[in-house]
Amino acid sequence: MNDRADAALASVDPVTLEVVRNKLEGIAGEMQSTLLHSAFSPIVKEGMDCSAALFTADGQTIAQATAIPIHLATMIPALAAVLAKYPVRAMAEGDVYILNDPYAGGTHLPDITLFIPVFADGAVVGFSVTTVHHQDMGGMAPGSIPTNATEIYQEGLRIPPLKYMDAGRVNETLHEMLRLNIRLSDTFLGDLNAQLSACKVGARRLVELCRTYGAGLVTRIFALLLDRSEKMTRAALRGLPEGTYRYVDWLDNDGVDLERRVRIEVAATVRDGTIHFDLTGSSPQVRGPINCVPSGAQAAAYYAVRALTDALIPTNGGCFRPVTLTLPEGSIVNPQAPAAVNARTATIKRICGAMIGAFADAVPARVPAASAGLSVMLAFGGRHADGRPFILSELVCGGTGASAHADGVDCLQTDGSNSMNQPIEALCLDAPIRIRRFGLHPDSGGAGRQRGGLGVVREYEFLADDIRLTFRGERHFTAARGSAGGADGAMSVAVIHRADGRVEPISKCVTTVARGDRLVLQTAGGAGYGPARERARDALAADVANGKVSGAAAQDDYGSSHGGKP
Amino acid sequence: MLSHNGPIRHVGKRALASIGIDIGGTFTDVVAIDDDGTQRIAKLPSTRADPSAAVRTALARLLPQWGIDADRVTCFAHGTTVATNAVLERKGARLGLLATAGFEDVLEIGRQNRRQIYELLLKPETPAFLAPGARRRGVVEAVGPDGSVLTPLDPDSLGAAVDALVAAGVDAIAICFLYAFANPVHERAAADFIRARHPHLTVSLSSEVDPAFREYERTVVTAFDAYVKAGLDRYLGAMERDLAAAGVGAPLQIMQSRGGVCGARVARQRPIRLFLSGPAAGVVGARAAGRSAGHEDLITVDIGGTSCDIALIARGAPVIRPEGLLDGFRIRVPMVDVNSIGAGGGSIAWIDAGGGLRVGPQSAGAEPGPACYGRGGEEATVTDASIVLGYLDPQYFAGGTLRLDPDLAARAIERRVARPLGLSLREAALGIHRVLNAQMAEGIRLMSISRGMDPRRFSLMPFGGGGALHATALARELGMTTVVVPRHPGVLCAAGLLSAEIEHEAAAGFLARLDAADPEQILAACARLAAECASRMRDEGVAGDAAATTCYADVCYVGQAHYLEVPLAVHAPQDMLATLYDDFCARYDQVHGHHTRAPARFVNLRVVQRAPNRARQPAAAPRPGAAGANPAPRRARGILLAGVAEPMRAVVVDRDGLAPGDTLAGPAIVEQSDTTTLIEPGWSGRVAPDLSLILTRQP
Repeated sequence: MNDRADAALASVDPVTLEVVRNKLEGIAGEMQSTLLHSAFSPIVKEGMDCSAALFTADGQTIAQATAIPIHLATMIPALAAVLAKYPVRAMAEGDVYILNDPYAGGTHLPDITLFIPVFADGAVVGFSVTTVHHQDMGGMAPGSIPTNATEIYQEGLRIPPLKYMDAGRVNETLHEMLRLNIRLSDTFLGDLNAQLSACKVGARRLVELCRTYGAGLVTRIFALLLDRSEKMTRAALRGLPEGTYRYVDWLDNDGVDLERRVRIEVAATVRDGTIHFDLTGSSPQVRGPINCVPSGAQAAAYYAVRALTDALIPTNGGCFRPVTLTLPEGSIVNPQAPAAVNARTATIKRICGAMIGAFADAVPARVPAASAGLSVMLAFGGRHADGRPFILSELVCGGTGASAHADGVDCLQTDGSNSMNQPIEALCLDAPIRIRRFGLHPDSGGAGRQRGGLGVVREYEFLADDIRLTFRGERHFTAARGSAGGADGAMSVAVIHRADGRVEPISKCVTTVARGDRLVLQTAGGAGYGPARERARDALAADVANGKVSGAAAQDDYGSSHGGKP
Repeated sequence: MLSHNGPIRHVGKRALASIGIDIGGTFTDVVAIDDDGTQRIAKLPSTRADPSAAVRTALARLLPQWGIDADRVTCFAHGTTVATNAVLERKGARLGLLATAGFEDVLEIGRQNRRQIYELLLKPETPAFLAPGARRRGVVEAVGPDGSVLTPLDPDSLGAAVDALVAAGVDAIAICFLYAFANPVHERAAADFIRARHPHLTVSLSSEVDPAFREYERTVVTAFDAYVKAGLDRYLGAMERDLAAAGVGAPLQIMQSRGGVCGARVARQRPIRLFLSGPAAGVVGARAAGRSAGHEDLITVDIGGTSCDIALIARGAPVIRPEGLLDGFRIRVPMVDVNSIGAGGGSIAWIDAGGGLRVGPQSAGAEPGPACYGRGGEEATVTDASIVLGYLDPQYFAGGTLRLDPDLAARAIERRVARPLGLSLREAALGIHRVLNAQMAEGIRLMSISRGMDPRRFSLMPFGGGGALHATALARELGMTTVVVPRHPGVLCAAGLLSAEIEHEAAAGFLARLDAADPEQILAACARLAAECASRMRDEGVAGDAAATTCYADVCYVGQAHYLEVPLAVHAPQDMLATLYDDFCARYDQVHGHHTRAPARFVNLRVVQRAPNRARQPAAAPRPGAAGANPAPRRARGILLAGVAEPMRAVVVDRDGLAPGDTLAGPAIVEQSDTTTLIEPGWSGRVAPDLSLILTRQP
């Protein structure tokens, strides 16, 4: 903290500071709640794929509500792009700014960010901002996340930083362009309105706050809160041993060139209360849509810092000041337009895993072995026997890595995402699909003193012809890596058993399945921690009794002669 | 033991009485109301190892002290945490689970999302401890979404599965087959098989416990049901014997989590309905207290040592939600919508690594408790701040049962907060209150806004030991203008037991689109559910025509999973579906601020029957002779308030001496054995006819 901040601290009493901080977090929460409740599409309502935040006038996050970490701080580059084009001095009350272009600070096209400048005493004191993953943004495929896109032009409509409202008047040109280019535009505009309402809630309450405490004091408090979180984050980072730590992991492929693995390389350097993530060595950008614009690696870095430091540090832009990144141009983590980017989530998950995994040896008590780190995406589309169309999708995950303290957890979302699975009873109700089996995948957790969490087995039988199946798996070719002598987790395996007896292993594909075909999916397990031979015998016996480890694996992987009981 | 009021005065006449006993974590609260409406209250320390010991004490000592004859007790209602505690302490049955073959792991896999998103060291999110893999077995059978049998139940696989569970030493079995809510035939066959061969085993069927779709949620509820059933049965049986031994003839009634009571006979069949009944009783008590004071729209805040429980009562009805949390696990049981935030009297004030003041979420709890308790606690807590500020009288805490040490309070705040921040003791103590109040106010705002309700339209009702101390500050933060302090805020849960109606609820999954549903089918399903409720009513002696029946449908838009409960107009079947759709859209609009005319579908049908209980209600007017006869003696002491440099003289009044019509102007303090009310400057108080204290903000 600098002298200016110390002087300012002396002039604001610490109680008011904390009271205002609580109110700011409350405002972000109220914005998010408004968003969740007034949005219509399931992706917001059920998937909670949205977030809300307040920013300072110079673009630093002062409070944010997120339901999924992947959104953490992704609005920062977006607001920077708006501010670069529209100077604060030129903004007027009633202005609303909009953006979704990944190459101008956005994430992927379905994520639209809306910004309202908040005025007090005639000047901008901050911004009220929301991001929502919209159900559709146009482009070659419904949902605007085409797995076979090779250019962003196929992914939907790009919106550069623009005014959506100018001093209270809607930008008709933009509005009509959006209406015409987006599928189900009523739902889209409904969700955009929800976003606008939430931004207005944030703006109204920030104005009230300025009225109560004075805009000057509120602005000073912003600066102090940022400095305070920065100071706490630096102190927590000083608690990590200094040095450079590396981790390399792989994505299976980009969905287009199936035989080419995609490398994610991280070198994390901790020095004097700062942290630098260098992703040099990661693959060049790819043809398929798993390219990840810089906001993705940034969100991963901020997630890693939040996870590695103290959970009680209030999250704001100050936490991110000690964090820097090197993202080589033209690489998978900083692609150049017009690379396709819609499926970047898998990449962010792998970057998160690598950033955390880099610290496995530095802080072994805090960092678990690698998790499966996947969200297998399945989408089914076709017609029921009576001709009604159906479309549905689901995300299935794998096991988490074991830690020095405990076994990994079976089938649980980790790192950047946090989606729920589809109940079997819901899925079979809505589509001519029967789930034949859904269980833990025995022996998939990496062996170790602490065992990795298990992946799952899910078997689908198709009850109609001409069902379009989109499958985007991960960890089919590289395993989650063990720590401290623990074994790797098992890899994913997915096989289509055709009714005529043909067997087709898949990892990423778009294909057609027919009545009688079956898809058997086994997701990857988390890795083990510590040597397997050190596993407590009663824990191993319980694993065998509970069916998590087979008798054979108990002998082969753990060297047990007692494990043979069924 | 802390008890209120002397024996009943009318000597020679044997009064009838109703008794409510609520067992909480720290205290067991007892309320008795006799047939002229006189209310008596007492607080006893809870006896965790044997919770019913406190009940026996109440029967043996309080009844004679209050002049109540056991055989004249006509209503005995009980709130218990015994089902919840069995889960928290992992002391339920050794449970086995039967599932459809291929789906044995549903209980352990869950929904794959996590609650702590930044935590690296993850813990299981599912209650697999109820039945680990070795005690889960599959049975070959299949029922389709429409209830048709796809694969008949295979008797050999059933026999082998049950044998394996019995060999694993289980004493209870939960059965949850896929789509059993659409056709329970296989679950029933399995249950019959088990009961015939192993009559000592407790059995719970998902098609009876929670016949609704989504297999994980149904499995969890069914497993918890079987897990606590036998223990609850033993507990209730022992209490019935205690009551009989004490000569109490009234049937034992238990509070359910939806806020109605039911007879012990029904309760032991549906133990899952008793989880979290304590908070429900408090809200039901608040509703009764609000109603008697003429306030039907309330936000209640129950502030205890470690947490603040917030609930909403809209137009006299507590908001109900379809699921809740038990020990961190989501369970699908309808319950009064109570939200807890980690802020209370024991919340610890501390300085973070950035040099900022923070309050909570850590609490000093009851042991060692706040520094002023003198039990070795050194942390500065909210209660310590209340002592320093003069709000609490150290000599009269909890009615004088606990002496507090003001020097220890001051020392803790000085050392832990004032000195590190360079504040005066007064500024530090005020600061702790302001921060806590800001946290609680944001919690209340979020809770009400996310349910589509504007807090400014509501009155605030504080209860619990700490609520009334913070009420005017919270109301001010939230723009609320009225605070209703009930006569006995510390025993509102026990009072709630006696104000609750007898209630039975039955629900079943009903999966059809509104535009394709058959009204005849809906009516038939509702009739079946109503018959189920009526049979339970008969079980506890309520005649068929004494109960009011309401039918509801859980409805959602096609494509969404969030559903809303909407009343179903079964008396007008020809318009039923059209009315339901309009009502659903209107309700959606109220909660979410907008609606569309998109297609909607049924999720569940539900029938609720309610009947008035036998319990007496407290008299609206106080006993003759008390009102106005002894004007409350008024003292004064200096208290510290925000924005005022010098201590202000606050009138201090004894609540027991207040009579209807009495008025007070802030700053004032009202003391009573179970709570202390702080009336800030700018607020005035008036005693209502029912002895509630109504605080209003001066414009």
